[in-house]
Amino acid sequence: MPTRALVTSHEQDLALYPDVWHRLAMVLGRATALAFPFLASARWVGVGNAALVAVVGALALMILTGFCGQVSLGHAAFLALGAYTAAVLGQKLGLPFWLLLPASGAVAATTGLAVGVFALRLKGLSLAIVTLGLVLLVQHVLLSLPEWTGGLSGTAVPMHLGFAGEGRAPSFRDTSVLGGVVLRFEQKLYFLFLLLALATAQVTHNVQRTHTGRAMMAVRDQDLAAAAMGVDPTRAKLLAFGLSSSLAGVAGAMFAFQQQYLTVEPPFDLGMSIQYVAMIVLGGIGTVFGAVAGALAFTFLTPLAEEVGSALPFLDRLSSAQQSTVLFAAVVLAFLVFEPMGLFGLWLRVKRYFVAWPFSY
Amino acid sequence: MTTLLQLTVSGLALGVIYALVALGFVAIYRASRVFNFAHGELLTSGAFLMASATEAGVPWVTALGLSLVATGLLAACVERVVLRPLVGRPVFVTIILTLFVGQLLRALVIVAWGAEPRGLPTPWDTTATVEVLGARVLVNSLVAAGAGAVALAAYFLLIRFSRLGVAMRAASQDQEVALALGIPVGRVLGATWAVAGMLAALAGIFLSLFPRSVDANLGFIALRAFPAVIVGGLDSAVGTVLAGLLLGLLEVLAQGYVNEALGPFGHNFHTVFPYVVMMGFLALRPHGLLGTREVQRV
Repeated sequence: MPTRALVTSHEQDLALYPDVWHRLAMVLGRATALAFPFLASARWVGVGNAALVAVVGALALMILTGFCGQVSLGHAAFLALGAYTAAVLGQKLGLPFWLLLPASGAVAATTGLAVGVFALRLKGLSLAIVTLGLVLLVQHVLLSLPEWTGGLSGTAVPMHLGFAGEGRAPSFRDTSVLGGVVLRFEQKLYFLFLLLALATAQVTHNVQRTHTGRAMMAVRDQDLAAAAMGVDPTRAKLLAFGLSSSLAGVAGAMFAFQQQYLTVEPPFDLGMSIQYVAMIVLGGIGTVFGAVAGALAFTFLTPLAEEVGSALPFLDRLSSAQQSTVLFAAVVLAFLVFEPMGLFGLWLRVKRYFVAWPFSY
Repeated sequence: MTTLLQLTVSGLALGVIYALVALGFVAIYRASRVFNFAHGELLTSGAFLMASATEAGVPWVTALGLSLVATGLLAACVERVVLRPLVGRPVFVTIILTLFVGQLLRALVIVAWGAEPRGLPTPWDTTATVEVLGARVLVNSLVAAGAGAVALAAYFLLIRFSRLGVAMRAASQDQEVALALGIPVGRVLGATWAVAGMLAALAGIFLSLFPRSVDANLGFIALRAFPAVIVGGLDSAVGTVLAGLLLGLLEVLAQGYVNEALGPFGHNFHTVFPYVVMMGFLALRPHGLLGTREVQRV
């Protein structure tokens, strides 16, 4: 059973959304996303913001792990670098928040490329451990520069609208009125994040469709064969590392804006890296849909998982964060054993059922 | 001079523990090409089992044996239930799988024993020290080093001379050929995991003696043993033991000498120092001290 409709012309192959159903799904999805902050309560808009941060972070990891096949446990390190770049530049130099996003991306990308140089000689396991070491090193560096990062006690993240000088500068955090509609901070943040998340999804989708992404996938599937066919594995891996870490840096800056106050550990530890891996496994490795669906499912189900966890016997002895970790670990294990393609695989099954109806296959 | 000696001895004691932990990783990796990220949690469960057994009044040595066996069984169960169905899947899948098995085990440990640290009693005075060449050394450290050395020797004898050891080596070279020769590879893998679990439990127990204690975060020490595995060479048991000793020594020496020299940056620097060493090794000699160089065949 084919997973996509038969392609008969070059134009069809180039189309972003192959058929009317994809276009309809995109329009409906975007409409829901736009209406969400006006319909949901402040708490759930907050959850939505966290979900959008997770979408950008998961897309970043998807490029590296899903497309290029490089297992990274260092995602938290790149997010931490992005977040702290945003905080330090905003706090010490008074840069406006829209400048902080690219700056965070740049700092994380530089580190990512440096790690990428190691990655050229390593595969699978060793890379996972090096990136794990990166998390510990970044934590150490951030904690040992207290005059910049506030050390253990953390640092606030300002969101100036312009270059901040003496006195109080106008901030993105203030409630603003736009054409008679009152927008609270979390709603404004939501629209900013939505824009960034859509842009990232588009970029990732296009990377997947172009020769860059196909080179990455060739390296993932069999690097020797890829090299023999003229793909430069070095270039593909470095590009994947650079792109992934810069997007992770942006996600880190978004995380910082949402949290408003940063400490090193938690949240930037191995647990965070594992969470992102869980998201892309849950969603389906190697697909843009998987990263988005996995991140959304993970973030929106976390509050739910905490409620379920406190109702279950024995689990009520854990903290709420641990409860959701346990439930997600169980879910991810089940997916790995029974449905390796994650939510994307489930969706394919549903789709095939309806495409083939009334036949069973 | 006395400080140096003192640091050397405690560094070697720590190194033996690292070697035990790292050897557990390598045993499993050689047999099944799986890197067990849940190893740290086996460490914790071993230590907690020991604590419970001694609290229940079981004699110390019996308790030690019981907790080793129980942890070995737990490890074999993990292999049978979670990893066996996934034979032949990409390395990526097993990495993620063991990470999440680790999280589940960790939660299980907290549910079963709570998060409070508890001390581990010993038949001798837990704070006793002896004089070795003018340096004061905890009896605990010496016993840990001794038990570690005995366990390492037993492991190498098992691998070298026993029937099971030969089967393990055969399975690690080529599973299909081993199967064709009549070796029950599945059971051998289970036994390998059990041995690794026992090594983990032993490391966990001696790691949590005074001045440390048993708590749910004991498994993080496994993170610190990763560099030993890489530096030693992923598939070399001897290299791993050497690297474990070396890194334990380096860590304690770094704590004693390097931390202060680095000023504010040196605070807790010794905890990341093994990773710095590991990165250097990976840049210059990716297959480690004694590991086999990776050959690519087309």
